[in-house]
Amino acid sequence: MKLFAMKKVRKMIAGVAVAGLLLSVSGCGSTASAPASGSGSAQSGTIGTAKIGVVSFLTGGGAAYGKAIKQGLEMAKEEVNTQGKVKIDLLFEDSRGEKNEAINAANKLVNKDNVVAIIGPTLSGEMFAVGPIMNQAGVPIMGTSTTAEGITDIGEYVFRNALPESLAIPAAVKKAKEKYNLKKVALMYSNNNDFTVSGYKTFEKAVKDNGLEIVTTETFADKDVDFSAQLTKIASLKPDAVMVSSLYQEGALILKKAREIGIKVPFVGGNGFNSPQLIKIAGPAAEGAIVASPWFPNKEDAAVKKFVSDYKAKYNEIPDQFAAQAYDALKIMATALEKAGSTTDRKKLRDSLAAIKDFQGVTGKFAFDAKRNPVMSATVLIVKDGQFSELK
Amino acid sequence: MFWQQLVNGLTLGSTYSLVALGYTLIMGVLDIVNMAHGEIFMFGAFTGLILASHFHVNIFVAMLGAALVGSLLGIILERVALRPLRRRAVSHLAPLISTIGVSIFLESVALKVFGPESQAFPQTLAGKIYTIGPMQISLVQVVILAVAFGLMLILRFWLARTKIGKALRATAESTETAGILGVNTNLIIVLTVSLASGLGAIAGVLVGLTFNAVEPTMGMSMGLKGLAVLILGGMGNITGAMFGGLILGVAEVFSVAYGASSYRDAVAFGMIILILFVRPQGLFGAKDQTGGR
Amino acid sequence: MDFILNPYYLQIGMFIMINAILGVSIYLTLATGQLSLGNAGFMSIGAYTSALLTLKAGFPVYLAIPIGGFAAAAVSAVIGFPALRLKGLYLAIATLGFGEVVRVVFLNLKITNGALGLSGIPSLGILLGKALSSAGFDQGMGGLSVQQLSNVSVLLILLILVVFLVFFSLRLSRCRVGRAFAAIKTDETAAEAMGINTTYYKLLAFLLGAFIAGVAGALAAHITFYIGPKDFDYHRTVEILLFAVLGGSNLVWGPILGATLLTMLPEVLRAASDYRMMIYGAILVTMMAFRPQGLISEETLRFWKAKLGRRKEHDLNS
Repeated sequence: MKLFAMKKVRKMIAGVAVAGLLLSVSGCGSTASAPASGSGSAQSGTIGTAKIGVVSFLTGGGAAYGKAIKQGLEMAKEEVNTQGKVKIDLLFEDSRGEKNEAINAANKLVNKDNVVAIIGPTLSGEMFAVGPIMNQAGVPIMGTSTTAEGITDIGEYVFRNALPESLAIPAAVKKAKEKYNLKKVALMYSNNNDFTVSGYKTFEKAVKDNGLEIVTTETFADKDVDFSAQLTKIASLKPDAVMVSSLYQEGALILKKAREIGIKVPFVGGNGFNSPQLIKIAGPAAEGAIVASPWFPNKEDAAVKKFVSDYKAKYNEIPDQFAAQAYDALKIMATALEKAGSTTDRKKLRDSLAAIKDFQGVTGKFAFDAKRNPVMSATVLIVKDGQFSELK
Repeated sequence: MFWQQLVNGLTLGSTYSLVALGYTLIMGVLDIVNMAHGEIFMFGAFTGLILASHFHVNIFVAMLGAALVGSLLGIILERVALRPLRRRAVSHLAPLISTIGVSIFLESVALKVFGPESQAFPQTLAGKIYTIGPMQISLVQVVILAVAFGLMLILRFWLARTKIGKALRATAESTETAGILGVNTNLIIVLTVSLASGLGAIAGVLVGLTFNAVEPTMGMSMGLKGLAVLILGGMGNITGAMFGGLILGVAEVFSVAYGASSYRDAVAFGMIILILFVRPQGLFGAKDQTGGR
Repeated sequence: MDFILNPYYLQIGMFIMINAILGVSIYLTLATGQLSLGNAGFMSIGAYTSALLTLKAGFPVYLAIPIGGFAAAAVSAVIGFPALRLKGLYLAIATLGFGEVVRVVFLNLKITNGALGLSGIPSLGILLGKALSSAGFDQGMGGLSVQQLSNVSVLLILLILVVFLVFFSLRLSRCRVGRAFAAIKTDETAAEAMGINTTYYKLLAFLLGAFIAGVAGALAAHITFYIGPKDFDYHRTVEILLFAVLGGSNLVWGPILGATLLTMLPEVLRAASDYRMMIYGAILVTMMAFRPQGLISEETLRFWKAKLGRRKEHDLNS
């Protein structure tokens, strides 16, 4: 008893007890999630309902991307649930673009909601934090927009169907060089975003591989709105083209400002340029912008046309690459689940995901390579009359 | 290129000045950094945008509308987050936190209501572009410079000459003494906050117009820059806010033009660290702080 | 038991501990009345130092983490001298600026890999797991798998660290240094007049805060596998400040309670999804209106002490 009479110890115990109490209170609120058991195969022909968790950037600065991803996934879900052998239940959790929140979200989905696999998170940085934990826990995780180098090196449970820039950008640079006879170019990129920095590195390499001279490299930050200083500098150096690695918002504003101050040369963009929003925000200034992409909303393809019109009917906007890749991701998941023949076995799902080949999605023909990266082809697009069309 | 970059810098700087004016007014009178100012600025931008694109009003009407909404938000802010704190003796941290709370709240409301995408003002408002010698200057740039300087002059005159202005300065000097001398200090404080917020909202419209982008998180980065200007120019100093903003804008642009653009965001805070060590009262601050002038 | 061992809760537990350490770091600088908002910057220095040492130089984790703390302290010594001449809000904004500058520098350095950040940082949990396996626990112990065991041990290590820091702060407040801190907080001029070397003590508090923040950063790096400049931006600074302000900054218990609540709050509010940041903001405003001194103050402690004391008497009597 003497021990407990000591002030310090008592305080300490009280503190720990309070912390423990709070922890348990926070947990008790919603532990009612039933464990997903293997007995889901009720009707013949279907193999039950699979719970898939989604970690996405749903609130905060990058919510525009998270929203597109969510919409793409929900469309795919409806289609899978009406026609497929497997039913899918999507559980969305917000990461606010922060790695700690992404870890918590994924952990909650796996350990409380017992999802069979995870789609997301949105940013590569989040994936670098979440991936190892999921890999260790043996939960298949598939990024739809995580393009950075080295993502799938995390481990064999980590997949992605995001087109790596190493495929798209060199194609665009090469085409632009041939078409416009480029000699010297200026580079611009957003330097506080892993996605755009990794795009910039690919640009730099592609530009050098093509024997082009770089007159200057200018950076900016996500959410910047004033690009006049960089563009004035670029204008004075008179490059033949400007290569921009940015998200669509900054890309559109750059195009607008550039045209305003009289830079008339072609702009080649990274994956971020590949969005209808770019044209919507930049308006006529977007004319002549070049981007390589597997996703092309005006493609002469029945599946793509149906997807675009359905999406437009539902959300009143044209799907961008984020939506299209998310849509395909869930379809890929569903196919793999069917092949695995189970809605709960994570190991089986991983194996059948890794074996996906000849999948025909809206972003084209798709397969995973040995390192669980996508194998797909990119088309070089140019903005013409307010629409993306193929650059031939 | 030099002259063009100077114009670019002055345009950027005048937006910083406009934002900083609001900070400095509240700082001068209440000795508080209003962390929600950036979000009121953002709401102003959205109000202007909605008025201009849905009701097709003239840009000055849009600015007026934004100013009204901004002042209203300011009044609510004062009631909800500042007044309850004033009644009791609290540390100077409390208002900082409660305004941070308001800023988080407003930003998430905006995300919910307006959506996360960046939106632009109608093209017709972007205005003409004039070419003067080696410089190109757009109508919006001229307007924003003029409005910024105009507001500064009006504010200075108003503070120095009018009765309310004098009451405001008295309150800034000492709330208690002003109260004893018959100034309705509560009213003056509400007035200050709503005035500062109205100014912030106008700044929002102008910034949205200049850079053609209005989105819910725009208040955050602008707010930080405004804070830097507040220190740079001297807390509670209107002239300081004005010129501090211009200096910061020009410095940032020149860091891109003649240095490395990747260090641009460090310029603002690098400058204030330097200023604080050399001249802690700010470029235009008096040795002992006096507010509102 | 299952509940405690759920990796989701274990992970939140780890974040709470890290944040509690950060809370102590801001508490220590606040103990002298200095409001330093550079903690996110110091945290990033610790995190990057430790991550780079383990990734590039092959340092063992247990050495790299304290070195991270020392690196943060060293930087704080350099900027501390001029910075501590500033008072109140000026110091706050200067240190906030310092954090931003550090972030931009990390964004631009080659070795830190810019915005791409550092990935594949050796994880404390996995290392402990390996150690446990080689110690003969590869089949787990008491029905726990190695993974669970290592997670639990990481949490325990963090908990011990927090307990130690609390103990340290409590001791500190009862000795010479702590009394000097308190004197400076109450009235700097009077403290100086009484012969307290205010510069020394203020710098000491600043250094201690930076060291602890650096250690917290290093620990965070080795728990989350990945760090990028974005993890240490303005939002993080505000978050750390909120721990102290919400919990109360007069006693070390305050920041710890604040860290605990604020780490759990977003998780508890997950169900509210879209509205959770609104609720979060509203809670802050309400909190300041009704309890601006923070949740725990001296009176709270006295109140509970009296109440618990009475209960004990009651128990004894009955």
